Amino acid sequence: MLGHSLTQALRLQCRAGASRTLATAVSPSATPIAQPVLLELTQPLKTFKTEPRASEHVVALDPSVFNHPIRRDILHLCAVHHLDGLRQGTASTKTRGEVRGSGAKIRPQKGSGRARLGDGQSPMLYGGGVAFGPKPRDFSTKLPRKVIQMGMRVALSAKVKERKLGVMSRLDWPNAKTKYLKAKLEELGLRKTLFVTGEDNVPLGLSRAINMLKLADATTVDKVNVYELMQWDRIILDIKAVEYLERTLGKNVPIAPLPLVTEVAESTLVAHSAL
Amino acid sequence: MASRARVTLANLKPSRGSLHNQKRVGRGQGSGYGGTSGRGHKGQKARSGSSLRQGFEGGQTPITKLFPKRGFVNHNAKEWAPVNLDRIQHWINQGRLTSSPENPITARELLASGCIHDAHDGVKILGDNASELKTPIYIIASRASKSAIAAIEAAGGKVVCKYYNALALRDCVKGRTDRVSAAPTTRKDIVWYGLHRNRGFVSSKTLQELGNLPWIEDRWKALSEQLGVWRKQKVVPLK
Repeated sequence: MLGHSLTQALRLQCRAGASRTLATAVSPSATPIAQPVLLELTQPLKTFKTEPRASEHVVALDPSVFNHPIRRDILHLCAVHHLDGLRQGTASTKTRGEVRGSGAKIRPQKGSGRARLGDGQSPMLYGGGVAFGPKPRDFSTKLPRKVIQMGMRVALSAKVKERKLGVMSRLDWPNAKTKYLKAKLEELGLRKTLFVTGEDNVPLGLSRAINMLKLADATTVDKVNVYELMQWDRIILDIKAVEYLERTLGKNVPIAPLPLVTEVAESTLVAHSAL
Repeated sequence: MASRARVTLANLKPSRGSLHNQKRVGRGQGSGYGGTSGRGHKGQKARSGSSLRQGFEGGQTPITKLFPKRGFVNHNAKEWAPVNLDRIQHWINQGRLTSSPENPITARELLASGCIHDAHDGVKILGDNASELKTPIYIIASRASKSAIAAIEAAGGKVVCKYYNALALRDCVKGRTDRVSAAPTTRKDIVWYGLHRNRGFVSSKTLQELGNLPWIEDRWKALSEQLGVWRKQKVVPLK
């Protein structure tokens, strides 16, 4: 059972900030100490002998990043900001000054019995220019850096809450065969997944194999954004990616240290069948 | 517990009240801004590209031109925050203000206790109902009136007028002691703060009379010697 496996588990000190989060004994009147989020490792795409075994290991995640209160309005801001930046902004129309034609008066001021008119490009006339029509412009907006960072924390926490976030010890694929990767993903039940690696580049084998797949994608942790995290159903992180995210997004809050022998109540754990 | 199961791109909403629809005029009666688009009927203001300059009253002499200009604004003038001695005594009676030889009353204490609401360019002690003052108080202010000085000293207290520039006053109010307050630089200030009748802090007679209270700085003595040099200068008259 879950508790049993944990007593045998070796805790991975995967967090860069592990040393800073050890809190000393605290009196009841001080700020409450956050409990780290415990997540079982998901089975890797390819098992390596040197990597820790997924079935025996648990990852302790920083709660300020992975257990942040859910703020849908912040996610909305981040999504709208992202989509604003994607707009091409190439809609264009001609004003009455740009429509081709002479400036000659179409008919005399008086005598015709009809309305008075100037040149033939007036917006009032058929074939004339557009009044206040669209012109190519930049639709991108600015969003404070800290709002985007909070959006990342909220998105990751939402995925953790929905049990759609997983951590693999290493993201790699030995050959570049899409066929075998697809089979493996079906076997692991990882369709509609975004793999986020903490390396500088996505490993070549994985990137080639995943290239033609519609139901999975791989990216690096410094390029991933809030919109992408929301688009994909499942997110699988690298240990290195977790470290990067905790380093860049983590807040300096007192976090409870992990007990050496598990006396942890089962309610603090995210369910084992995460994905 | 979350009210909804999943957070997806399909169920994101902005927070209530954060967005407001743009006002678009001339788009039908239902909007309330159709037809004349909020401009009324005819006239100069209803026309495209027209606006009157600020303060124009249709040709009638505007209120800004009716009355003649007068005087000038003195940018070197100082606004002193006045506080009378009866008010200080009342505050002491209530227990909102305390004064001892070790902790004198300064602008910081007056502001914090609510005796003054704003220190402006400095505090001036005035002598309205000066007879009310019974307790000996130790006070450092920017200025003090003659009657106020007399009343404080009659009650057994001590008063010193110190020069505060804007930065020094700010440091005093905030309680910062790491910086050294500047000495007076203008001739008027040097003369004024060097006079005993004003109880200026660089007047040698004032410093003698104060004795060795803990808040008297050694710097004041040095300044009184340096800034008092002009008294002994021999002026050679031009032929």
